[in-house]
Amino acid sequence: MTLPNSLDADDSPERPKVLLVDDDDLALMLTAEALRGRGFEITEAGSGEQALAMLSDWTPDIIVLDAMMPGLDGFDTCHALRESPGFENMPVLMLTGLDDEASINRAYQVGATDFFVKSTQWSLLAGRLRHVLRSARTRQELERSKSKLARAQDLARMGSFDWRRPSGASLHPTGGLTLAPEALRVFGYAPLDRVSLRRLVRMVPLPERRGMTRVLAEVQGQNTVLAIDVPVSLPDGRMRIVHIEAEPEFNEHGHCAGYTGIVQDVTDRRIAEDRIRHLANFDALTGLPNRRQLIWRTERALDHARRLGHQAALLLIDLDRFKVINDTLGHAAGDELLVEVAARLRGCVRHSDQVMDGALDAASARSHRTLEAVGRLGGDEFVALLPEVADETDAERVSGRILDVMREPVFVGGQECFVTASVGIALFPRDGTSVADLMRNSDVAMYSVKNAGRNDSAVYSPMLAGRGREKLELESALHKAIERKELVLHYQPKIDVRSARMVGVEALMRWQRGNSLVPPGDFIPLAEETGLIVPLSEWALREAARQAKLWQRSIGFTDSIAVNLPNRMFERSDLVEHIHQCVTTYNVSHRCIQLEITETDLMKDLQKVIPSLHRLNEIGVEVSIDDFGTGYSSLAYLTTLPIAELKIDRGFVRDLGITPQSGAVVTAIIALSRSLGLRVIAEGVETLRQQEELHRLGCSVMQGFLFSKPIPPEELERWLQQTVLPRKAPWIVQAGADRIDPPRNSGGRRP
Amino acid sequence: MTLPLLPRPAQATDASAAEPQDTAVLDPAALANLAQLDPTGANRLMHRVLTTYRSSMARLLAQLAQARVQSDAATMRLVAHTLKSSSASVGALALSALCSDAERALRDGRLEEVPGLLDQLVAETARVDAAVLQLLADT
Repeated sequence: MTLPNSLDADDSPERPKVLLVDDDDLALMLTAEALRGRGFEITEAGSGEQALAMLSDWTPDIIVLDAMMPGLDGFDTCHALRESPGFENMPVLMLTGLDDEASINRAYQVGATDFFVKSTQWSLLAGRLRHVLRSARTRQELERSKSKLARAQDLARMGSFDWRRPSGASLHPTGGLTLAPEALRVFGYAPLDRVSLRRLVRMVPLPERRGMTRVLAEVQGQNTVLAIDVPVSLPDGRMRIVHIEAEPEFNEHGHCAGYTGIVQDVTDRRIAEDRIRHLANFDALTGLPNRRQLIWRTERALDHARRLGHQAALLLIDLDRFKVINDTLGHAAGDELLVEVAARLRGCVRHSDQVMDGALDAASARSHRTLEAVGRLGGDEFVALLPEVADETDAERVSGRILDVMREPVFVGGQECFVTASVGIALFPRDGTSVADLMRNSDVAMYSVKNAGRNDSAVYSPMLAGRGREKLELESALHKAIERKELVLHYQPKIDVRSARMVGVEALMRWQRGNSLVPPGDFIPLAEETGLIVPLSEWALREAARQAKLWQRSIGFTDSIAVNLPNRMFERSDLVEHIHQCVTTYNVSHRCIQLEITETDLMKDLQKVIPSLHRLNEIGVEVSIDDFGTGYSSLAYLTTLPIAELKIDRGFVRDLGITPQSGAVVTAIIALSRSLGLRVIAEGVETLRQQEELHRLGCSVMQGFLFSKPIPPEELERWLQQTVLPRKAPWIVQAGADRIDPPRNSGGRRP
Repeated sequence: MTLPLLPRPAQATDASAAEPQDTAVLDPAALANLAQLDPTGANRLMHRVLTTYRSSMARLLAQLAQARVQSDAATMRLVAHTLKSSSASVGALALSALCSDAERALRDGRLEEVPGLLDQLVAETARVDAAVLQLLADT
């Protein structure tokens, strides 16, 4: 047989150490010699007593004991050995007589690993020794891996358990539950504690216990795999979450005899998971549900409302003038304010931070209540979700509470601040059947509050919709346009055709909304209607001053930028101060800014505008009357106003040479300006013919597509570089021709 | 000499099978088995084994004589047991068998058979000892 040799090679690269104990010198000598020759390292002992003495400070790999010895025989020696620490698992081979069955039985009784009948067939003895050594090593490895497993389970806060199904006459009505020491530790018990299934079940808090016992019964009834996470209250009072996983075991008849599985403390993992979930679903500043979470909750709430046929409400809450607080007190104070506001808003609803997934699945009619919350959409916008309302007065009660809690001043940045809110309410299903619809319509309702003076709430209604949803949406978007830096100024040059030079520019506002450029006609009237024109105009003045400075540096620009203002701007007492601030900020002179007001606007409430005109005149800001000729104005007032320029309305310019009347009006305006000592400029000049005619009539400063349409500032620079300076455009040739052959009527206008 | 082929065990086995003589006090196969433990003879194992066997036998016979005087069955049994296996080791199979008979009679309490068996045993030891001495002189 080659097997023992190969095992030998596999299992025992070194010479195994053998303690050979025999009182017979001859047997000792022969056995030792035989085993040495077969790769063993032999130490001899002549008696049991001597063997025990030797083992006090030395450990062999295996002990071979002769059973029959005077004094301490093999059995006694083996017994003594098993009692000494460290030798519990030492392999012991007992040598017995061939026909000595009693000895063989006794050998096992005293703990011998195996027996061997004494013979002179040494190779058999050697083979037996190797076998015993190998199984001892396997057992040792098993023990080691068992203890490793126990340690690993301990580290993983995991332990195994075994549950036997109670049989008819069982002493344990709850069935036999055996928990490994590691599993006991998971439940907070000592390794030797006996814990019944009933006791474990009682550790689960009542609200979860019912669900768990239901799952247990279900799993048991169908012999399916169990996998469940349950909260448990440990004997020391700590709350932990334990994951239980078990598989059914079947007996030979195919009946489920019980379950084996593991329990694991997954509290830390759950906390980490909850934290991640929280970060993804809650606003970091206020701790409120974020937009994503709000949308999720609203969707769930709408599902529920749809199923049960009730109403739900979405309240959009926007703080009034939050930007002012942020700008004046700083962002830190702004954040502080938002946190405080968030806390107050929370108190206005039955806010639930956590939504129990299980609770939602359950058929409980009230479960959707846990969706109720206040969340932060972003910036100073909050949303309150009311998953069930009887009607709009329910929602209005909540908005009333919200407005109430805002009345108390907020202390931020060491200062008492008053902040109000505008609340828009939309009801499901009346005002929208999707989250997007409800969000949009609550927004529309909220802006109607803003327009009506803020600090109030409004329910979305067809009446509001009557104002035109698009218009309201546009308005709502325009509100944010300045903040989002969506507004830009384009510039149209004013040309003196005599010198073919640019003598100034008019600034025209454009709204870069997404990818499209909204023309002024589409949003200026709305801005005027809503009062947004004021911040818009203020922004335009600031931007014009900034551009004047930029051009001063880049192209030596010394002319002025004309900004269009509505009459209500002129009525404001702080207009002069604002312009002063703008030019000072960018370190440009006051005359860099020119203002344009339409004749119609000017005439609306002339008396209110006049003081501003005077003061503007004093600081060197020139005012131009736009669209002149359309406003049925009494020409008498012109003599008294501190204005610098008249702009001939494009309507007259367009018809020049087509209708005789237009030529007459243009002539009259030129004459008038000349007599009043005002400059005159024509706008809307599109053709060389118009240019020629205006020039012939005595107006040499013009503006229009013939020269350039309104363009962004960089493009204007390029236009100057590529068109005006090289004197390439047709109108320049024309202007040059004019110069060579000046029209008869223009002479008086020359300085 | 009865065992001239001792150092060549395979032939010794054949020889013993071929001539089962009464004079073969020591079994050639067993001796060959012993010789295998020290094939080169470097350890002088055969010499040491036979010397040890002789002294062990002398000691055991003294113990046996005393035990018979004192009717100490346990010691008698231990002597029989020990002499049984060591005798088997050196090929004194007849002696080993006598020891085994005596041991079993002692163990089973057939005390009436014991004196006869022990007498035969002691007689056989004399023959074995002579054979061992002869072997020692040859090696």
